[in-house]
Amino acid sequence: MEEIVNVEAVSRRFPLDNMPASHPAHCFVSALSNASLHVTAGEFLAIAGPSGSGKTTLLNLIGCIDQPTSGHILVDGVDTSKLKPAGMSTLRRENIGFVFQTFNLIPVFTAAENVEYPLLIQGVSSRERRTRVAEALDSVGLSARANQRPDLLSGGERQRVAVARAIVHRPALVLADEPTANLDTHNATQLIDLMHGLNRRLGLTFIFSTHDARLLEHTGRIVRLTDGQVVSDNSSEGGSRG
Amino acid sequence: MGKFLLLAFRNVFRNRRRTMMTLVIVGGGVAALLLVGGFFAHMFWGLREHTIKTGLGHIQIFTSDHFKRDEVRVLDTGIDNWRQVAATVKTGGHVLGVAPRIEFYGMVSNGDKSSVFMGSAVDPDAENSLGYTTFSMRFASGRDLDSKPGGEVEALIGAGLAKSMNVKVGDGLTILAMTSDGALNGVDVQIVGIVSSGIAEMDARYLRITLPAAQRLLQSDRVTNLVVGLDDTENTDQVAAELAPRLRGLPQQLVLKKWIELATYYKQVRSLFSMIFIFLGVIVFFMVLMSSVNTLLMTMFERTREIGTMLAMGTPRAWIVALFMLEATIIGILGALVGVVAGNLLGVLLNSAGLQLPPPPGYTLPMYFRVLHVPSLMIGSSLLVIVSLALASIFPAIRASRLQIAEALAHV
Repeated sequence: MEEIVNVEAVSRRFPLDNMPASHPAHCFVSALSNASLHVTAGEFLAIAGPSGSGKTTLLNLIGCIDQPTSGHILVDGVDTSKLKPAGMSTLRRENIGFVFQTFNLIPVFTAAENVEYPLLIQGVSSRERRTRVAEALDSVGLSARANQRPDLLSGGERQRVAVARAIVHRPALVLADEPTANLDTHNATQLIDLMHGLNRRLGLTFIFSTHDARLLEHTGRIVRLTDGQVVSDNSSEGGSRG
Repeated sequence: MGKFLLLAFRNVFRNRRRTMMTLVIVGGGVAALLLVGGFFAHMFWGLREHTIKTGLGHIQIFTSDHFKRDEVRVLDTGIDNWRQVAATVKTGGHVLGVAPRIEFYGMVSNGDKSSVFMGSAVDPDAENSLGYTTFSMRFASGRDLDSKPGGEVEALIGAGLAKSMNVKVGDGLTILAMTSDGALNGVDVQIVGIVSSGIAEMDARYLRITLPAAQRLLQSDRVTNLVVGLDDTENTDQVAAELAPRLRGLPQQLVLKKWIELATYYKQVRSLFSMIFIFLGVIVFFMVLMSSVNTLLMTMFERTREIGTMLAMGTPRAWIVALFMLEATIIGILGALVGVVAGNLLGVLLNSAGLQLPPPPGYTLPMYFRVLHVPSLMIGSSLLVIVSLALASIFPAIRASRLQIAEALAHV
């Protein structure tokens, strides 16, 4: 099976703002320590752990939003540590879809225009954009709300638009950082089911982070982080594919 | 590109109150420039026409010697065959008339007191043919020179000179001048009119008699120059270009001068007020720049997470810079439109109010406050604020494009 993400002994340390320079040994905090993770194409994977365990840091590193202090990350066969900022930007644009905890839709764009945005920055033709936006909105069940702006959508609808935006350019990988954190249980379950369905139907690889134990019941593979370290990975138990 | 423009356009109106405030500042700057610039343009226009019609004419023709050396004797650098030159000039397009003139000086006396005068000898009919009457001088009393006077030599004198010599219309004066042979000659004149140009220094020395009277006084058939009147000042360059080659075919070597080459005072005033206007433009530029930088920085901080999201999705950083600059440019264009409309409306209102200003230094007549609607000024002022805003957006735009994505996404 093709490996889509390969995280090899990755650490990420952040400098502390208020620490005097005369104490170099104490001026960093470690968010991720020697973490390794291998994800194959088509997996539906949850990264679980309490707040501050390093879930967002790991997703940011996989998503080329941040760079590791040490270690290597390969995304779709590309070593991200060797990429310049422009190359990372291209990798994100073409290979990765993002779903954020707070939806992060562009408020002045309609649902359809938000979904269209990743295609716009890829330079896809307007006819192709129209077709793919319609398909993406249809796949999340929001065709009827295409011309509504985000402020007229419910939280669940906004997050479904965000999912449509993340998959519209057919990325190799979709990263969702706590996508259900701002949703009630009903909407949260629906969203996970939706992502799971897209994973099965389209074969998209999903990696999402959560600290909600109820959502993990729907997830085959769960990687648990504690204090920046991978403490368990049930991939060997089977059922990691959607 | 269309969607990108749409995004920029919609972003402009996200915070309507702030956008309105920016538009008021930008529009106010443009309106102020239009009002001041329009007033200056009217002043320049008024001064230009006043300069032309108080004696300068649109074009003047001299002998080339006139500018090469000083006259040893009166009219020794004058035009000999001036009737032939005038006839040649009159055949050109846009020419209303050609007036021969003699500029001379001498002493004027009332029997008790003498004073220096600056004399101008004219052909009244030819002067009237220039297209404006009596050089736009205001008659304090009396009438214009008669083109075919009887026995007496008629004279117009400036109000200041009349006051100095204590004379009124109907009184006589004696004028003395050197002839072209170097002898002293004199003639008695009767004052038929007292005039005011609006310039105090000119009114204190001005004297005007007919051309034949001056030629008799100076014992010469020559004239100092020929003054050409056109149908419109805007045609000066065209007529000058057409006349120059035709004058080269005449026996005497002649030089043609456009009004602007002779209007030293006009050029000084224009230069001074242009500097004042540029200074005002610089103030408006910085006013718009500083207020816009602040507004655009606030906008950037408010949209930190959104910018982070766009960058996370792979938006090139140059696009973020372009987006902010585009938004600022749109505000600049809208502000310029607001300013042009407001400036023109205010101009119309002020013009209809018929305001008068006190006479400028050296002038005796009040000045009307009028604002001209100058298209080039509207374009220039608009470009100024649009460029100001585009420049103001560079710093916030670059800051936005350099945001750390992870930090921007965590921004609250």
